[in-house]
Amino acid sequence: MKQPYFNRIIFGIIGLLILFVLYLQYAIIENTEKIKKDEIQKSEKYAQKIVQYLRAKTGGHIESALTNNPKLRDQLNDVLQAFLTENYQYIFVLKKDAKGHYRFLLDGSKEEAVEYQTIFFPQSSVFDRVYETQKTGIAKQQESTQKIWLSLLYPIVEDKQTQALLVVDLSEEYADYLNNLNSPLKVLVSLMQIFLVISMALLVLMAYRYYKFRQSVLNDTLTGAHTKLYLEEFFNRNRLDEYNAILIDIDEFKEINEKYGYDAGDAIIKEFVQAVLAELSLSAKLIRTAGTEFFIVVPKNEIEIGILTQKLFEILKEKKYLTGNDVASLTISMSAMVIPKGASSLQAIQRILDEKLLEVKSRGKNNFIILDLQSIDDLRYRDIDYIKEALEEKRVCCLYQPIVCTQTKQIIKYEALVRLIDKEDDKKLITPHHFLKVIKGTTQYIKMSKLVLEEAFSTLHAFPDIQVSINLDLDDLYSSDMMKLITKHLHKNREVANRLTFEILEYHEIQDYDKVALIFQQLKTYGSKIAIDDFGSGYANYYYLIHLDIDILKIDGNLIAQLHTSPRRTKIVLQSIQKLAKDFGYKLVAEFVCDEMIYEQIKELDIEYAQGYYLGEPKPIEAYEKFIKL
Amino acid sequence: MKRYFFVFLLLLGQLHALERESTLKMYGVIFEALGLKAPIHLYVNDKEYRSVFRHSPDIELVDVFEKSDIVLVTTEEALELARRKKGQNPEGKPIVFATDYHFLKSCEKAVGAFYWRKGRSQLLFLKKRLERHHITVPERYDQFVIDEL
Repeated sequence: MKQPYFNRIIFGIIGLLILFVLYLQYAIIENTEKIKKDEIQKSEKYAQKIVQYLRAKTGGHIESALTNNPKLRDQLNDVLQAFLTENYQYIFVLKKDAKGHYRFLLDGSKEEAVEYQTIFFPQSSVFDRVYETQKTGIAKQQESTQKIWLSLLYPIVEDKQTQALLVVDLSEEYADYLNNLNSPLKVLVSLMQIFLVISMALLVLMAYRYYKFRQSVLNDTLTGAHTKLYLEEFFNRNRLDEYNAILIDIDEFKEINEKYGYDAGDAIIKEFVQAVLAELSLSAKLIRTAGTEFFIVVPKNEIEIGILTQKLFEILKEKKYLTGNDVASLTISMSAMVIPKGASSLQAIQRILDEKLLEVKSRGKNNFIILDLQSIDDLRYRDIDYIKEALEEKRVCCLYQPIVCTQTKQIIKYEALVRLIDKEDDKKLITPHHFLKVIKGTTQYIKMSKLVLEEAFSTLHAFPDIQVSINLDLDDLYSSDMMKLITKHLHKNREVANRLTFEILEYHEIQDYDKVALIFQQLKTYGSKIAIDDFGSGYANYYYLIHLDIDILKIDGNLIAQLHTSPRRTKIVLQSIQKLAKDFGYKLVAEFVCDEMIYEQIKELDIEYAQGYYLGEPKPIEAYEKFIKL
Repeated sequence: MKRYFFVFLLLLGQLHALERESTLKMYGVIFEALGLKAPIHLYVNDKEYRSVFRHSPDIELVDVFEKSDIVLVTTEEALELARRKKGQNPEGKPIVFATDYHFLKSCEKAVGAFYWRKGRSQLLFLKKRLERHHITVPERYDQFVIDEL
């Protein structure tokens, strides 16, 4: 279950429990009050009966009946005493004298009965009100020193005149008894309240700890900038396409650390972040994505991305950092873009900015780049979901570029080049540089390789006279899944496998030549050939010639292109490669043959095969059908 | 156990102190109504009352009836004494004040009383007796002044 839902449920349950306890508390109070009210009503009836009795005995004019009749007074006092129970503390009858003072007429007390006509101050205005209105009243006991809960006042009326007041004092014990009727429930509610208070306290504590934890997870402890997690959460709540994005990397910060020490380096990074934040609005977000890499998102409606990028670049470039007695400065590389409408993949945005940042770095750092509209438009091709969908719908095809014999110009082979077909426009083909890096190492990559192999073998079956080469990254061959896939297809199509060439690309230096040699041997089991792509550049070096059993060398296209700018020197290099290949018995292919001039020079250098736009563009195999028939 | 006993004593002491405070406050009001000013020389032979009034800064307990400004009748003995003694001036000091209706009724010299009846506090002053001592209680106490018992 997702954490926010879990939290909501917990808080919901606690909330319901609080409501339930409050309701219980309210219900208990209501119930107790109802019981008390019922008991008061009973007492009223009780008082009514006493009054009826007194009226019957005195004929309504109670004072005149009692004044000269002590015997009747004693008799009635005894009667009142008989009415006393443990619920009733006192029962007595008062009257108001001419001065307005209350005086006792009767007193039912067992002990210390008050004498007839003794003055009494009732300490409550309710007595006067009942006397005047002739309506029953209840006086709450104000003083707390004696055991009276409340006084029930019942007027004795005769000839529309209040003759006296019957006072029935209900004892405090009686109130306690009524209050305690619900005591088991009260205990339960109290326990629940304690439980809830403890639970709430624990929840508050947990919430606080969770808050602190989140703060530490969402904010970088060194710089105070946000973390990647914050960025992800932020775009779970906000639309990605309402922001512009900038990626900043401090160039060669390692040198700063080495020169001034790590503490000084940390201080510089902190200051750097402060400088960036000072230029950003509150709604912009600064994220530390790596040690010296920062990602910024700024609302589109705030500032034009180009202006902000330029401004940040200038400020950060000029900024000086004081470290001890030295003054340090930094150079930065930046890439920025307007996030296109409808974009939803933060990873895709970060990837493209990262690639562009690498471009800046490879061109000498200390610069910035703002992505053009085409690059932005191509963004969707980098979306893993887009690629996945294309593969599921088999929107994959191969274009074939001919490799020709230099001397005869006859096509001897085709290089199969994979393309994705655009979702909206099936005429638009997407080149691998958009999507290959995205799916590298994923199951989608295996899926795509499978489709390419199927297509290549299908072409070989369809055209028995042609040869096809396909590209393979050496890393692919280290993958057991890929090797299984390739060997399975080679075995399945073993009758045409000898017309297939694997063009091996290498992005890293080979560490284990024996292993690679073994893999090449496996590929060649069914007669397939091995070509080394981009020979003469990067990692495709002379070690290959010494350690690996290869068939073809494809000279790096960039080297061929040098024939335009440095023809003499390039020719010398190409001549040496040609001689090497000849001595080793390898076939040689020149790539990037884009015009007649280069073609003629290649021919002159006696390089056997050539490939390039001058000799044929990548096209569907059907486009070359007439050459195949020839 | 000792500790609990100590806490119990402390609580009891607190309750007692509260009662003492309220009693002193009540009598402070009464003495003020009777026009007495500090230091008030009080004669009371009841140990309990004496232990209470000992804590008042405005009251000095005296052992001689005649030297007192006011006499508090709390017992039958005090009632007898109040009846018997003439005081410095029969119509002047000491003023006699009762703590029970019965004492008030039994002692003609008593100008008033404060006592509890049916759970209600009862404060009353007798007009004629006050006049005899030339005492006029402030207006706010008029409701407690009665002509006769």
